Amino acid sequence: MSMIDVLIRVDAICKKYDKYDADKHRNDAAAAGDPFSRLYAAVDHEIDAAIEKSERAAREGNRAAAVALNTDVRRTKARLLEEVVKLRKLAAKKVKGLSPEEAELRGDLVSALPHRIKSIPDGGGGGGAADWNGGGNVRPGMKFDSSGLEFISEDLDTLKNLAEDMNEELDRQVPLMDEIDNKVDKANADFRKTNVRLKETFRSTRNFIIDIILICVILGIAAYLYE
Amino acid sequence: MTSSSSDPDKLITKLSFTRWNADWKSATTLYEQAAIAYRFRKDNEKAKDAFEKASKGQEMISSYPSENISIAVFNIPWDAAKHMESAGALAKELARWDEVSDFHRRASELYRECGRAQPASDALAKGASFLEEKAPEDAIKMYDEACSVLEEDGKEQMAFDLYRAAASLYVKLEKYSDAAATFLRLGSAADKCNAINSQCKGYLSAIIIYLYAHDFQQAQKCYNDCSEVQAFLSSDQNRCAMKLLSAYEEGDAEEIKRAAQSSAINHLDHVVIRLARKLPTGDLQAIKKDLAADDGEDSLDENDLT
Repeated sequence: MSMIDVLIRVDAICKKYDKYDADKHRNDAAAAGDPFSRLYAAVDHEIDAAIEKSERAAREGNRAAAVALNTDVRRTKARLLEEVVKLRKLAAKKVKGLSPEEAELRGDLVSALPHRIKSIPDGGGGGGAADWNGGGNVRPGMKFDSSGLEFISEDLDTLKNLAEDMNEELDRQVPLMDEIDNKVDKANADFRKTNVRLKETFRSTRNFIIDIILICVILGIAAYLYE
Repeated sequence: MTSSSSDPDKLITKLSFTRWNADWKSATTLYEQAAIAYRFRKDNEKAKDAFEKASKGQEMISSYPSENISIAVFNIPWDAAKHMESAGALAKELARWDEVSDFHRRASELYRECGRAQPASDALAKGASFLEEKAPEDAIKMYDEACSVLEEDGKEQMAFDLYRAAASLYVKLEKYSDAAATFLRLGSAADKCNAINSQCKGYLSAIIIYLYAHDFQQAQKCYNDCSEVQAFLSSDQNRCAMKLLSAYEEGDAEEIKRAAQSSAINHLDHVVIRLARKLPTGDLQAIKKDLAADDGEDSLDENDLT
């Protein structure tokens, strides 16, 4: 008899005498009536379904369909994270017939759920483990974005420095402009005064010249008349 | 041209029976014309002498009251100062470095007599820039005087460039503590004008210079002092300084190099950037030992109840 034959024979015997397994029946009874177990089983099932959906999206050739699948996966992930909160409350409750080790195990299972949910790929940020490592990315496009952000950050630093220097320079120029303003006003006032004085001088000079011309004309007329 | 230069001499020096006073006014005018003409002809020696004499003439004119009795005002030696500056520039062309220093100092004094601090400081700064290559010690003194002139007049904001020039000269002469002190002086001047960016940059530059001189204790003290200034505490320069100093404490050369490449340092003076790129200098392990020794002493002090 080969090993495989032995295993098949053992399975058959176990199935035949299954009804006599008291521990298993007790556990099943407990599980059927336990809300934590029911909810956990449902969440587990949905996680598996979400993983399968995301794998299908990755294989999908049609971009629109892939986007729709990924959106669905993301919605499921958000909903599952809310379910984790309920599971946490249920795990904290004391259940009859449950040993402390099993209660602790439930707590561990619930703690592991958020990580499992976040690690479901949804086409938006890559795997959770990769994110947590901080270095790797699912798609080559993500690598470009992070280095692009570094360039943008450096340029922003330069712009900030330029803006601050310009601000200081403008603050420096303000009193100088005020001084120029005062001096120009003073020069303007002096200019106007000088202008007024020049006008007066010109007027008096003009009158004097007109007088001389008139006298010359009169003398010329008189000389003509006498001749 | 020669006649115009000889005439002033005659007017001034040849006092005779008929001439009782030197005719400074006419002589000065002639000297000015001669100086401009010599400069145009590129005869720098004679132009320099003519400008010097024209300045002297203007000083003499300005020391007497104005001829117009209705305006009882003393003339100010503005033109004297300008001519002295021109003489200084020509002295630089002739490589007469002592005369450059003297003429520019005299010009600055004359500007101060006119009550104009900015031109006085500019005259000193110009002289200092001429002397940077040939007589850096004198140049530093002149920059220092220029900064003091502006500080006395309350115009510290105009002095930032002078502080930076002086500090870069100190670095060139390897007088690192003086260079750091100059940057700290810039910081306090910037504090008065509310120029926070320049203030923080000045403090960071001082810390980097101390680290370049491998004086970690001083750098730490400087950082502690500067951290009391609120404006520096909340700045990018403070974060950069913190990274640099903690890298030094850990003795991590790679971390120091990385911190020295940060953007806060890239926006400093190019002299300081060059120093930062060369960090770390000296033995990092020695710093670690000193720090450990200091910590040991401190713990002894805490446990010592006597």
